[in-house]
Amino acid sequence: MTRNALGLFRDPDSALAAAGRLKGAGFERPELMSPIPIHGVEEVLGPKKSVIKRFTLVGGLLGAISGFTLAAWTAVLYVHPTGGRPIITLPPFLIITYEMTILFGILATVLGFLISARFPAIRERIYVPETAVDRFAVVVACSSDDLLQRAESILHEAGAEEVRRIAEGDS
Amino acid sequence: MQTEVRQARFADVNDDVVRSLVVTGRNYYIALGIAGFVTLTCFFFPWFYQLYYGIGAAGMNSPTVWGTYLASFIFWIGLSHSGTLLSCVLHLTNSEWRKAMYRSAEAMTFFSLFVAITMVMVHIGRPWFIHWAAPYPNQMGLWPNFRSPLMFDVMAIMTYLTGSGIFIYMGAIPDFAAVRDRTTGWRHHLYVLLSLGWRGTDKEWHRLGWAYTFLAVLIIPLAVSVHSIVSWDFALSIVPGLHQTIFAPYFVVGAIYSGTAGIVTVMFVLRKYMNFEHYITKLHFDNLGKLLLLLSLLWTYINMLELFTGWFSGTSTEYEQLKYKLTGFYAPLYWEMILFCAVAPLLLISRKFRTSFVPMLILSIAINIGMYTERFLIVATTLSRQYLPGSWRVYVPSLVEISILVGSLALFVTLFLLFVKIFPSISIYEIKETMGVPKKHGEHHDT
Repeated sequence: MTRNALGLFRDPDSALAAAGRLKGAGFERPELMSPIPIHGVEEVLGPKKSVIKRFTLVGGLLGAISGFTLAAWTAVLYVHPTGGRPIITLPPFLIITYEMTILFGILATVLGFLISARFPAIRERIYVPETAVDRFAVVVACSSDDLLQRAESILHEAGAEEVRRIAEGDS
Repeated sequence: MQTEVRQARFADVNDDVVRSLVVTGRNYYIALGIAGFVTLTCFFFPWFYQLYYGIGAAGMNSPTVWGTYLASFIFWIGLSHSGTLLSCVLHLTNSEWRKAMYRSAEAMTFFSLFVAITMVMVHIGRPWFIHWAAPYPNQMGLWPNFRSPLMFDVMAIMTYLTGSGIFIYMGAIPDFAAVRDRTTGWRHHLYVLLSLGWRGTDKEWHRLGWAYTFLAVLIIPLAVSVHSIVSWDFALSIVPGLHQTIFAPYFVVGAIYSGTAGIVTVMFVLRKYMNFEHYITKLHFDNLGKLLLLLSLLWTYINMLELFTGWFSGTSTEYEQLKYKLTGFYAPLYWEMILFCAVAPLLLISRKFRTSFVPMLILSIAINIGMYTERFLIVATTLSRQYLPGSWRVYVPSLVEISILVGSLALFVTLFLLFVKIFPSISIYEIKETMGVPKKHGEHHDT
């Protein structure tokens, strides 16, 4: 069973340093939990890629196509000539296109966020409520007791205020 | 030790915000009771009366087929503008002072939009046919007319409502998580659902940051388009005084102007009655004051331009329209608007004025009274003086309309009062960011 070592720190820099040391010692990528976004995580734990921008782009494009199609296609379905002007009238239909681009872009961004950050959480995940207040936590998964002890000593060395063992599934 | 002080203060933010949600005083219930009662008697009762007796209960006539309902609609849409728009702009420009106030500003956006949509329902007389505006074919295969500015409106406002609702919710997810850990009972269950299982991991922060920024980028052009489109409801007609190209920027500037004044009012109330004195400070009022001053100057400029283009057109109908606006039946309202929105805000030049809370409150309310008058005049002065002198007719709102106007304000207040007990009304994590990140060895730095 996978167990996790969790170190609680009072400041983000020590937490980040501890995470870096754990990674350097060959552990799996440690996870940080914090009350505020920590800057400089990517320098220590490697770059992160977000797929959200692709979602936004695809959503926006889909919105543009469907917006224009909606306006133009429905105009053609029931032809209603007014003042000899074209049936597919660009200026007003571009406004509909514009609004639908943004609507679909927004919805796709939300979808991308939910998928890439794995929300909503269905099963229990490791969590310590202190990290929502003023503590910064480093969590690392360990496959054996030896590794667990090593991880704990690294966390202690890095200045953790408190070190806990948490099994996957309870929090 | 500095770090000790810092840490204690981080916890204070959680305490203060949770307290604002959970601890409810007698005054709150009294305020909610009054607001709810006024909403019921001044908004819903007259509305039912109007539904029962027909739209004739309102004072609208031919040719003035648009009355205070549509003026209120523009007003509420306008008020919605500064919230999310301002919040997005300040987010993208990394303005620290945004963080204490943006949540309530965005809530204002959302509820103003809600009230605006209700005003449309009141205006159309037979709201049970509102679904006719939805893009689907009727039984004869006829779709809505997408060439009509009214359909632009439907699309734009529904997109805006969706966008601003999502924006305010997404920014609040970490705060729901923080509040979740501290509440019990039904509140706990609610926040468990709303927080989606947020834990604050580096991955989650990273994704939230990106998604939030993308949303901000999408919402800014959306907000600008919404009020431009509302202006085209009027400007795409051929009525003298409405058929003007300046209308889109005129409406957008007016919207941000009245919305910023609305934010000042809301900030004052939150600061005073929710005990957020530490978070909403003179700095915020100073900055908002500067913004208001700039917007009032822009607004004044556009108003002068509107008069000038009317005069420069050289057509008799535009002349008549100008003369009527400046000296006719509605002229006292026009000059009241100029006093409240163009002259009085010049006081904001003084820093002392900007940082005094009560004068700022009074000015912000005055500006919004002026801005409501502006919207009323846009509808009333133009429609009552169209081309044929034989069909000139003055419009005066009926008691039902005035009552619904007052009631819509109470509806907004009621919704806002409910909001401050459910949503953390200041952003916990962003306040913490502005307090400075804790450092090792007791050092700290302020951002």
